[in-house]
Amino acid sequence: MINLVRNEMLKLLRKKRLYVIALIIAFLVPLFTYAQFKEIQDQREKMGTQDWRTVLQQEITDTQNRLSSSRIQDEWRKYLKIRLSQQQYYLENDIDPRAPGAPTFMRIFVENSIDLLLPLLVMVIVADLVSSEASGGTIKLLLTRPVKRWRILLSKYLAMLLSVSFIVLSVAVLSYGISGLVFGYGGWNMPLLTGFAVSGDELLTDNVHIVPQWQYILMEFGLVWYVCVIVGTLTFMLSVLLRSTAAVMGIMLASLIAGAILVNMVSSWESAKYFFMVNLNLTNYVSGMATPIEGMSLGFSMAVLAVWGLAGFIIAFVTFSKRDIY
Amino acid sequence: MKPVLKKYTLTIVSAVSIAASLLWLFGLGWTLQDQFTANEKFEQPKEKTESATSKKEDGKLTIFALGDSLTRGTGDADGKGYTGYLSDLLKEKSEQDINLFNTAIKGETSRGLLNQIQQGEIQRQAKQADVVVMTIGGNDLFQQGAVLESLDMNAINGKKQIYLRNVNNIYKQLRELNGDAVIYHVGLYNPFSNLPDAKTTSSVVRDWNFETAETAAEYENIVYVPTFDLFQLQVENYLYSDQFHPNKEGYKLIAERVASLITFEQKGDES
Repeated sequence: MINLVRNEMLKLLRKKRLYVIALIIAFLVPLFTYAQFKEIQDQREKMGTQDWRTVLQQEITDTQNRLSSSRIQDEWRKYLKIRLSQQQYYLENDIDPRAPGAPTFMRIFVENSIDLLLPLLVMVIVADLVSSEASGGTIKLLLTRPVKRWRILLSKYLAMLLSVSFIVLSVAVLSYGISGLVFGYGGWNMPLLTGFAVSGDELLTDNVHIVPQWQYILMEFGLVWYVCVIVGTLTFMLSVLLRSTAAVMGIMLASLIAGAILVNMVSSWESAKYFFMVNLNLTNYVSGMATPIEGMSLGFSMAVLAVWGLAGFIIAFVTFSKRDIY
Repeated sequence: MKPVLKKYTLTIVSAVSIAASLLWLFGLGWTLQDQFTANEKFEQPKEKTESATSKKEDGKLTIFALGDSLTRGTGDADGKGYTGYLSDLLKEKSEQDINLFNTAIKGETSRGLLNQIQQGEIQRQAKQADVVVMTIGGNDLFQQGAVLESLDMNAINGKKQIYLRNVNNIYKQLRELNGDAVIYHVGLYNPFSNLPDAKTTSSVVRDWNFETAETAAEYENIVYVPTFDLFQLQVENYLYSDQFHPNKEGYKLIAERVASLITFEQKGDES
């Protein structure tokens, strides 16, 4: 088995995809670093102060003013209200949620890329894992070996898992390394609050507790990894079902982007919460954001994702072992 | 030579990936443990850190603005409001850097403002201020023009009593927080002075202004700045298209008036 996985890893590395992904991240991170740097600078100039409390207070007042405007959508109002009470909570406890530093950048970067950017990167790696063998004809060679089919597929699946871990790791390392040049490398022990629960447009703070930023980041990366594995599994299934890599990518791309759009407009269509792509934003539960649909929670979203992932896994293995190859 | 190198990278990448998998799995497990088990209630820190208490930033004049939409600047095309023009004027006059902290909220009533200044951060900023400017009462009195329809004197007087009590508490609280800063309370004008009921509405506004000024007079260094006269004639030229908030010109008038009241000798005494 180990040799089979080794073999698959070798194929993956030959294709140089992992390096391309790392390169893409290495290009994107400086972009976002610069954007955030500009934002901080701009804020300082406008407010004439470096005191984060004043800046946060100003943001709170601005939000309050937007809330008092009558031409505001209901969903947006709910989102603002929850963010407002959260900011107020941070302020009252004298904690700056955005003290600049590489760890903070890392955290904000994964929070913003968990629902689209990272799944896309995973998809690029996984999409042709099986389908390329089918379209290239090498699948016949592979299956003539005296090894059971499910073992071959499992070795591919394990290679997929390993490359997902590798991608997530490169995101962590690159975003820390590059943004640290600008923001400095400190800030691992900064306290952050988690455990906010949302009910309607109220923010519940019963279970709120402090965790140091390094733990917070580790937790968020765990969730990111989970999301990437599920997206990877679904792509893997499509890759088994379809011969054309382009079709696999097309379908995944469409559903991921559809998810990003749906999240913004499904609040009244309740059953949409069973789609996997609406549930990708797991980190929002840790930081305490408004959910796109009433009744969603971390447990719910993880369960929905698990069901999708499991179904994809089973379909992939059943199809692969039963299919006629010619 | 090449295949050897490849084998080497393969081992490294695989090992790193396996280690990473374990790390992320651990993170995931920790998330589950952290989010799904009850945590001990986090206690709010009793003592604020040193920097959280009042400390004035040196060499800068800090204006702290609070109140309703007038202080916010609703109706001004540039979004500055009188506070923005005021700080521009003062910057020219004193050649000094000005910090303007505007915590005004549209539609704020005297009651809302009283609640707002109970918040810790607002109090901290109030302590740091060199100058406080505020507007309040417009929403107590007019409430989007509702008062115009009835003109029920009893109801208006009832509202006035509540308003005056709140204003008195606001003054008291601000004075307790900051004994030095001069508070400029910008008064009410009558946006309806070109309408049929102008006589009644104007007399109500004058009455509120008078009573507020009386309340202000009981405290030291609270200046009640009249604006009624500014808008008395040609009110339509100084109002925004909603016929309620001032426009750019109107805000500039208010800013000039307040700016002429702020003197710098007295600021020198303070610091």
